[in-house]
Amino acid sequence: MNDTEQLIKDALGQLAERTPHPGPTLNALRRKRKQQRSNIFLMATAGVAAVAVLIFAGVVASDRYAPPDANSAAAALMPGTGQTVDIEYTPHWLPDGYVETFRSVGEETTRVWVPASAKDVDPTLQTGHPRVSLTSLQALPDLSGWLETSVRGLKAWARTVQGQSAGPTTELVWQAQDVLRVSVRGQEAGQQTAMSVAESVRSDTKISFLTPFSLDGKPAGDVWGSTPSRWTARWHSEKYVVTVSTSTPAQTSGTPVSVRGRQGAIVADGSLVVRDSGLWLTVSGDGQSTDDLVDTATRVSLQHMDHPDTEWIGKGL
Amino acid sequence: MTPSFDDFAAEQVTPLLRYATVLTCDPHLAQDVVQEVLLRAQQKWDRIGSVDLPHAYVKRMVTNEYLSWRRRRAAKDVALCMSTLESVTPPVADTTHHYDEREAMLQRIARLPRKQRAAVVLRYYENYDDSEIAQMLGCAEGTVRSHISRALATLRTEHLPEPAGAGLRFGEGLS
Repeated sequence: MNDTEQLIKDALGQLAERTPHPGPTLNALRRKRKQQRSNIFLMATAGVAAVAVLIFAGVVASDRYAPPDANSAAAALMPGTGQTVDIEYTPHWLPDGYVETFRSVGEETTRVWVPASAKDVDPTLQTGHPRVSLTSLQALPDLSGWLETSVRGLKAWARTVQGQSAGPTTELVWQAQDVLRVSVRGQEAGQQTAMSVAESVRSDTKISFLTPFSLDGKPAGDVWGSTPSRWTARWHSEKYVVTVSTSTPAQTSGTPVSVRGRQGAIVADGSLVVRDSGLWLTVSGDGQSTDDLVDTATRVSLQHMDHPDTEWIGKGL
Repeated sequence: MTPSFDDFAAEQVTPLLRYATVLTCDPHLAQDVVQEVLLRAQQKWDRIGSVDLPHAYVKRMVTNEYLSWRRRRAAKDVALCMSTLESVTPPVADTTHHYDEREAMLQRIARLPRKQRAAVVLRYYENYDDSEIAQMLGCAEGTVRSHISRALATLRTEHLPEPAGAGLRFGEGLS
């Protein structure tokens, strides 16, 4: 064996000494297997449900079937297309006990995890509670004053800021395929936590979810909650804010109005409220007429209300 | 008797990670590759667990996964940098001047085309002969020899001979 070959052997031997600890791989394996079992169960359940629905539709209801009117609530309940949203990035490490409570999609995608003990706190409010978020940004922010560092060998920038929250917030930004930002609030070692989360982030094009509703084919932008059966979804534009929630709004009675084949109400603040498929639908818009609110509510398309895609809410990794 | 998948994974995960680390030159990618392979192996464990050498079979899966992973993700690949390796496990202390040579050689190995690199790893780390490497890579023995020959030519070309006096620190041994 010549010098080059011996050097190759030595170099490869040295590289082998940097083998990572098996713990994270075994843990990730256990998580994925559990997830797969859960998916198989869901598919089996969905299959049984689909068969039951087909039998019912074919045998029981065939003699009195009529296509729903395009403006009826039944038509609005038909699942649309294009509401599945890709969640391209996911962390594989979070502080112990953190669960996901918020997802925001659109030009930027954000996911938020909080301690399980704080999952009932509305994540859309600035409460200062501890939280970890991962955001896919459109572009790098202004990095003046940020410290340069690295994430998985890629150039990254970090800063710790004191905002309106009780404790400091550490932000870590790096340029992978997309620009990604990890934000950590309320952790004693925020920088270390942010780095650990960032180092564990992986791209996974298989991760997607179906937002609970859409309007004119555009999915709800924000979804949050504490459990799969307790959640709120929000869609907003310059004119309207539409929410669909399992929780009862502050006001539900007011001037009666017919909407989506049901009786709703225009409440004191001018919003339209109606209960549909066991959920509360609210449409508000400054200066919008009742007809406009009703028209907007009619265009809302709810998604698979028998089994909405909210299983991720309140779950950890 | 067929071992359970859990026992197999617990026993083999470290050797597989070590092999994948050497193969990929990237501990993070090694974790991803081994995780993906073990997940698939678990799904087909009835068949894989009953072959003569399950660990050899899964090792081949790791090799194939690495080769196809590289193809799938070629557009997303980030150039290897030693800081990636050192962020996972710091380099072991080495006070000899050979340390730098090994680091430089590692960088060169990391730049080899994937099949050449796999052939080099199987020959010089796993000590496989040509037929074993051919079986692992799914190619002819002649192709294996070609891969290794080309890899060695590249590594030799870039391996500059050590100048006389190398290893001496500035000011040492000059009196």
